Amino acid sequence: MVIGAGHAGIEAALALARLGFSTILVTQNLDAIGRMSCNPAIGGIAKGNLVREIDALGGQMAKLIDASMIQFRMLNASRGPAVQAPRAQADKALYAALARRSLEAQSGLSLFQDTVVDLLLDSSARVRGVLTERGNHIRARTVVLTTGTFMEGRLFIGDWSAPGGRLGEPAAEGLGASLRRRGFTVGRLKTGTPARGLGRSLDTARMALQQPDPVMRPFSFSTERIERPVVPCWVTYTNEQTHRIIRDNIHRSPLYGGKIVGRGPRYCPSIEDKVVRFPERARHQVFVEPEGLGTDEVYLNGVSSSLPEEVQEAFLHTLRGLESLQIVRPGYAVEYDYLDPTQLGPGLMTKAVDGLFVAGQTNGTSGYEEAAAQGLVAGINAALHLQSREPLVLSRAEAYIGVMVDDLVTRGTEEPYRLFTSRAEYRLSLCHDTADIRLLRHGRMVGLQDAGAEERLERKLRSVEEIRELLRSRKVAGVDADALVALASHRGRSFEQALRDPKIAISELAAREPLLENYAGEWLSLAETAVKYAGYVRRQDDLVGRFRSLEDKRIPPGFDWDTAAGFSTEAREKLKRIRPASVGQASRIPGVRPPDIAVILVHLRRAR
Amino acid sequence: MIVIRSPDDPIAALATPAASSALAVIRVSGPGSLELLSPLVARRFDPAAARGHTIHRCVVKDGDEDVDDVLIAVYKSPKSYTGEDGAEIFCHGSLPVIQRLLSLLARSGFRAAGPGEFTQRAFLNGRMGLTQAEAVNEIVRAKTDRARGLALQRLGGAIEDRVQKARDALLDLRASLEVLIDYPDEQTDSGVDTEKLDNAERIVMELVHTYPQGRIYQEGVSVAIAGATNAGKSSLFNLLLRQDRAIVSEIHGTTRDWLEGTASIQGIPVRLFDTAGLRAATDALEIQGLKKTHEVIDSADAVLYLVDGTRGMDAADRKFLDGWQRPAPLLRVWNKSDLRGVLPAPEGFLTASAVTGTGIDDIQRALAEATLGGAPFGGAEPLVDSERQRDLLTSALASLKRLRASLSEGATPDLLAVDCAEAMDSLEEITGAVTNAEVLDRMFSRFCVGK
Repeated sequence: MVIGAGHAGIEAALALARLGFSTILVTQNLDAIGRMSCNPAIGGIAKGNLVREIDALGGQMAKLIDASMIQFRMLNASRGPAVQAPRAQADKALYAALARRSLEAQSGLSLFQDTVVDLLLDSSARVRGVLTERGNHIRARTVVLTTGTFMEGRLFIGDWSAPGGRLGEPAAEGLGASLRRRGFTVGRLKTGTPARGLGRSLDTARMALQQPDPVMRPFSFSTERIERPVVPCWVTYTNEQTHRIIRDNIHRSPLYGGKIVGRGPRYCPSIEDKVVRFPERARHQVFVEPEGLGTDEVYLNGVSSSLPEEVQEAFLHTLRGLESLQIVRPGYAVEYDYLDPTQLGPGLMTKAVDGLFVAGQTNGTSGYEEAAAQGLVAGINAALHLQSREPLVLSRAEAYIGVMVDDLVTRGTEEPYRLFTSRAEYRLSLCHDTADIRLLRHGRMVGLQDAGAEERLERKLRSVEEIRELLRSRKVAGVDADALVALASHRGRSFEQALRDPKIAISELAAREPLLENYAGEWLSLAETAVKYAGYVRRQDDLVGRFRSLEDKRIPPGFDWDTAAGFSTEAREKLKRIRPASVGQASRIPGVRPPDIAVILVHLRRAR
Repeated sequence: MIVIRSPDDPIAALATPAASSALAVIRVSGPGSLELLSPLVARRFDPAAARGHTIHRCVVKDGDEDVDDVLIAVYKSPKSYTGEDGAEIFCHGSLPVIQRLLSLLARSGFRAAGPGEFTQRAFLNGRMGLTQAEAVNEIVRAKTDRARGLALQRLGGAIEDRVQKARDALLDLRASLEVLIDYPDEQTDSGVDTEKLDNAERIVMELVHTYPQGRIYQEGVSVAIAGATNAGKSSLFNLLLRQDRAIVSEIHGTTRDWLEGTASIQGIPVRLFDTAGLRAATDALEIQGLKKTHEVIDSADAVLYLVDGTRGMDAADRKFLDGWQRPAPLLRVWNKSDLRGVLPAPEGFLTASAVTGTGIDDIQRALAEATLGGAPFGGAEPLVDSERQRDLLTSALASLKRLRASLSEGATPDLLAVDCAEAMDSLEEITGAVTNAEVLDRMFSRFCVGK
């Protein structure tokens, strides 16, 4: 069973059903499946990588956005291939409709509208099903909990506040209290969203157009090409007057008035936070993004706020181009229950209740992509659990998903957790275009990927090899140098040697060689990265080797943290709670210091 | 192989040299160690019931028999050197007493401590960091007060502070790169602050450069006194030794090949060799002696060449001085400046009198400067003197140089961040922020018993 039909629930339910388990997805509202509660975009830095990793493992998100995007940009084009990431504006309504259709079309999966209020457990704390608001007992051997912002959710706008998970949708009440009663550590987090306006009320002539990439590139490794209508975004800025209005009314913000106790995300602050915390900044950027083709509604990215509605209107009208903005929904803050994710094992199953998996915002994360990735991992591991197989645990060195899950279950989080490339130690190995090379075999092993996907990957690897061979054998000739000045100093050398020059791009070489030009751009850029960054990748591989040596030192599941001597009290508490699976994981637990790691090594050595 | 031992059994070891002396100290540590001591002492004092940081006089008994009248200092966890319950037993320093006490402790349930085990426990119990643990090792081994001072400074965390400063600067740099990467649409004014890089590089470079000096203070140098017969070599030798109240430790053979003594010169432990006079020899014994003299001179880290200032240089002196080609520093001394009729010293000579002591300070200072590679002497700078630290600092420096090169080539932030992270990794390994089982292995295997 999967509780919740957001981005995490969708992936979990599809994975379980596709792996042959009779699955039921329970949601409060069938019409709200796959809703994008906040910004109308999928992907972004590190998040785009997540979407492609989901696809490599056999998940759904990449396919959904490929079929619903209305604008595409490859971010960080100038900041290095390792940190480039795809981002697409989505047609929100279309995305949600496609998500719902994919669930409905999945054999073995049933959908049911109800609200879960408690878990049913057997005498040995194994999950046996759920109890719903309407008194239904639904039996299930595993349950994946993906409640988003709905568990005991509460909305705030100025002085107004009411229970709710999203504006206009009721909260799921009762479940949070049940979990607390069952001994789970449940905390409160806060997040927020900006106001939405009507597109025809904008003065686009007074705003800057944000250029999308000319070509839409697919997230899914199985999508050949995308040909969809493109809708532009606009850029405008706050100004001194905006900031003054916000400052003058700051006491009316539930955040500053002390009404909200949950911690909000530092990396995605409300406009109130930006103004208060960075008073020296004269202006803040605001992106005006379309919400879809079937609506004129626009999203105001960068001005998330829970100030009273009239204050929101007043400060938004000070922005260039938004002077006559007609607000159709106000911005608001939402505070909700989350489970401290350190209560989970590395497969996202709770340590206390066998068969209970948790994913998405319920684990304290934020973002559609983070939720979907966890939903997929939880769904896969629920299936593996039912098959009595070992859980799928991706390493920090092989996937952003691995980084995120390890961070959550090892370190926990005290603010909504968002993935950043900097959370990964070895990001040169985690480029978005290598997700299939890194992860497809896991998808295949689990059973979510078929032989066709494997063949596609083999063709890709073969092609990259052919490209590299061409680069090695093709020499820079006089005509090449005549056509491209940068090549002059490389005359007589191989294309590969010339490509090591930071000033030369593979696209320029491909233009000089018809044999190269035949290959897909993504394959060419893979070969390019391999050549240009060979030295760095080699050095990073050394670091990965060192990292693995500690990861490979497994700590047996039955390790007795209580009686093992030598730990500091703080470290013992932490280790006991987290139950790290390896010395490497133990070393990442906050409060566990090098001496404690040395002590673990001592005990492991003695046990042998 | 990891040499970390079980951290939770009572251990005992002699903390002072295994030799006869007025007093000896035996240390015990580990949970239950005080309880194990209780039955061994006369009844009116119970170590297990005593408060921490107290000292007690009592008689150690082996059954009914008195073994020794001792003082026992009691330490209670966690406020002890190792972080465990423990004690120091001050006993009489005769070998039979020491033996008797150690065997009594062994019979009572104490295991003999391995090398460095007390310090290792202190580290394992979080009582000190890695560099501090290394410093303790150095203090135990330190040959002179100056070396001890440097090690003490490290124990106080002086190197750790420096490394931490460099790491902080890099952390700032790293953060600005990460902002560039993770917020592509934001107009942050965050660029690469080369001043931070300069700072980090300067700190690391300074520390790396102190290594040869640190090593000299730790390991010491050998200095040969050479010159013609009767140039005053033995007088200078005795004078340098006497100043340090050291004793002449070895005399080889009856033919007087050379004399060896240990002195502290400006804080540097110096093994001083007084060699046979350089002169044309005829008989077999003398030829043998001269051969050995040359061996000593050739292997010395520095040579003091004495010329009798009343006689001036002869052909043999000139031959030696002009023929000097080794990289080791050669100091020329114009001796016997106290005597009337002394000739004016040629350029490049230090004038001195090994008899009155005039000019000895100059010789000592020049010697210290020469062996320290001409570096200015005497600062209160913390010195890096372990190979491990030197290697890590060198690799951090290499990463920083790569970072600088990448920066000037216009490399993208993702690559700059790799160099930056590598440098930080090396620095963190110095302060023990990252654990590496091999580091522990190597460090702790170098400790001597009792500390």
